[in-house]
Amino acid sequence: MNNTTKAADRTADAFGPDVQETSSQHPAMRLLLTNEFGLIALILVFAVLFTLLNPGFVSKFSLFAMGRTAAVNIMIGFSMMVVIITGGLNLSVGSIGVCAAMAAGWLMQSLGLPWYLSLVGGLGVGGALGALNGIVIVRSGLHSFIITLASMSIFFGVMIFLTHAGSFREIAPEVVAPGRMKFFGVISPLLLITFVVAGLLSVLFRFTATGRQMLAVGASPQAAELSGIRVQRMTVWCHALSGVLAGVAGLMLVSRTGAAIPSMAGQLGQDWLLPAFLGPVLGGTLLTGGRASVLGTLLGAFLVTMLTTGLLLLQIAAFWVQTYLGLLLLVAVLMDLLRRSYLARKKLV
Amino acid sequence: MLRKLMISSCLAVVALSGNAYADSSTKVALVPGGPHPYFAAWEQAGADAAKDFGLGSAEYKVPQKWELSMQNQMLESLVTQGYNAFLIFPGDPVGTVAIANELADTGAPVMALAGCLKDPSDALFCMGTDTGNSAYLGTKELLTKLAGGKGKKIAHFTGFLVDPNTQLRIDAVNKAAVEAGAEVIQVIADIDAPEPAEEKINAYLAAHAKDVDGIITTAWVPAVVASNALRKIGDKRIVMVGIDHDKVVIQAIKDGFVHGTMLQNPYGQGYIGSFAADKLRSGCKVKADAPFKTNALTNKFIDSGTVFAGINEADNYVASMQKITKTLLASFEKTYLSC
Repeated sequence: MNNTTKAADRTADAFGPDVQETSSQHPAMRLLLTNEFGLIALILVFAVLFTLLNPGFVSKFSLFAMGRTAAVNIMIGFSMMVVIITGGLNLSVGSIGVCAAMAAGWLMQSLGLPWYLSLVGGLGVGGALGALNGIVIVRSGLHSFIITLASMSIFFGVMIFLTHAGSFREIAPEVVAPGRMKFFGVISPLLLITFVVAGLLSVLFRFTATGRQMLAVGASPQAAELSGIRVQRMTVWCHALSGVLAGVAGLMLVSRTGAAIPSMAGQLGQDWLLPAFLGPVLGGTLLTGGRASVLGTLLGAFLVTMLTTGLLLLQIAAFWVQTYLGLLLLVAVLMDLLRRSYLARKKLV
Repeated sequence: MLRKLMISSCLAVVALSGNAYADSSTKVALVPGGPHPYFAAWEQAGADAAKDFGLGSAEYKVPQKWELSMQNQMLESLVTQGYNAFLIFPGDPVGTVAIANELADTGAPVMALAGCLKDPSDALFCMGTDTGNSAYLGTKELLTKLAGGKGKKIAHFTGFLVDPNTQLRIDAVNKAAVEAGAEVIQVIADIDAPEPAEEKINAYLAAHAKDVDGIITTAWVPAVVASNALRKIGDKRIVMVGIDHDKVVIQAIKDGFVHGTMLQNPYGQGYIGSFAADKLRSGCKVKADAPFKTNALTNKFIDSGTVFAGINEADNYVASMQKITKTLLASFEKTYLSC
């Protein structure tokens, strides 16, 4: 198999789970094997379990709060996913998200710009910082792990220096409202924003040449290069997109908290690292690149949010929550493995 | 008819008396920003308050990590679990305002404890240490021990720069030093966690111990690490004043490696906060003209007290803290509440 064929095959893999192996089977059977189906099943199982153990789990307040938290976690997952597809990492997602949020806050409060221009400015800062990561990575030839580890500290440090760790509180009501509004008493507008972004990302990776090229770069850079794809440019675009998505997550938190604050993602933005990886990895995005699952990332991040909320509601001792969360995630993965084995044994797939 | 009359009379007497009684349905949640030894006293304080004042419960709920989102998620889950009064150390003085307001919207009294929310917020008040004053008084104690402090060189080890209290502490230490003619030759911040504190304090003392006459620490972990460092190098020439009541610091005071420590009052914050939460749920209101203090974040501040504990108080520092609590509680309702 030459490089071009290999790249094409692996790129095809990006459009959906296990497309090649199961192409001759019934669509319903193929669905049973997907990560997405497994995640949906797990979400349903745990939802029933938590509801039986604590009916408050499905109270309007709980559902609203869970959806709002999940919206941000999913967006953070997306910002990592679009870099993972290139076979890279972006450890500075939290740092970029905070910088974008602080930039938007500064534009609104200090420069008095209209809220929509400020949001665009914030996203622009996020995109620019992401692109900067990408440029340094392709120019230096170093792994994105090293570059983004360094830029995480640099971006955060410069932001703290410029803002003196101060917050921006004069946020326009139009920005704050989505963080507090409820549709039908349950649905957060932030969740709807996340769904819209998920839809756009799906279109990007499934139906546009740029999206396909991004995936091809992750599948095999050499083959992609031979196919005429500008690998370095695509890598920079992926990092820029990651920065924009991190900026969206940061602005969602501004909406949630009503202020742009330096500590919204913890010291150096490290608080975002776990949700950034959990969603994509659980959702089936390959760490080696070349495959993205937008729906999987969405479901994976939602599952983690739901497990955390459920464990908190069950009043699991605080310090055990992390342990139980880890165990439940392990159980979740094993259950998914069992499901696949069962289907294979029964020759259902 | 007679029965109805009696019930009506009783209700009228209660209403007219203006008193508010303990409500066993009160479920208080005491929620720090994350795990930290400073807040450990809240657990006992809540349990004691529940027992002494007849509350339904007053429980200490710790987010497993210092993450604003983690604290927010925990607070949201506590509402679902039926908690109806909240004593919160804000994960961020600005960032926690939104969730505090949402909690208040559910009808629960919300108070900031040990650290304040930035005004405006729906928190009824903030009760904590006047951090600037504590740092100032601690530095004064240090400089007094250093023969007035004139010409002396001191180092200041403190907490995270994203905590607005840190800058207040730095300013207060500098002010006390300037007043005494001393010089703050080094401020090391962002070290209220074991790893950075060990690394930076040990490295600094290894290189500059001979240049320093005194050390003031204004955060828990740096106080512990600096106490241990002075013990390790066996240096009793350097005079140190710490903060809080970690056993390491207290033992170092007894052994002569540390001059003293500035006690704060986390127990009193939890105990009195739980008492106030129940009163507020039982119909009391915060007095419009209550004599609140003002700090950098709020104009509804109540000082939970601070006191210096030296060698003479090292064995009975708990009594010192209880004394502060007792004094504050004795006049709390009359001073701050209208029942």
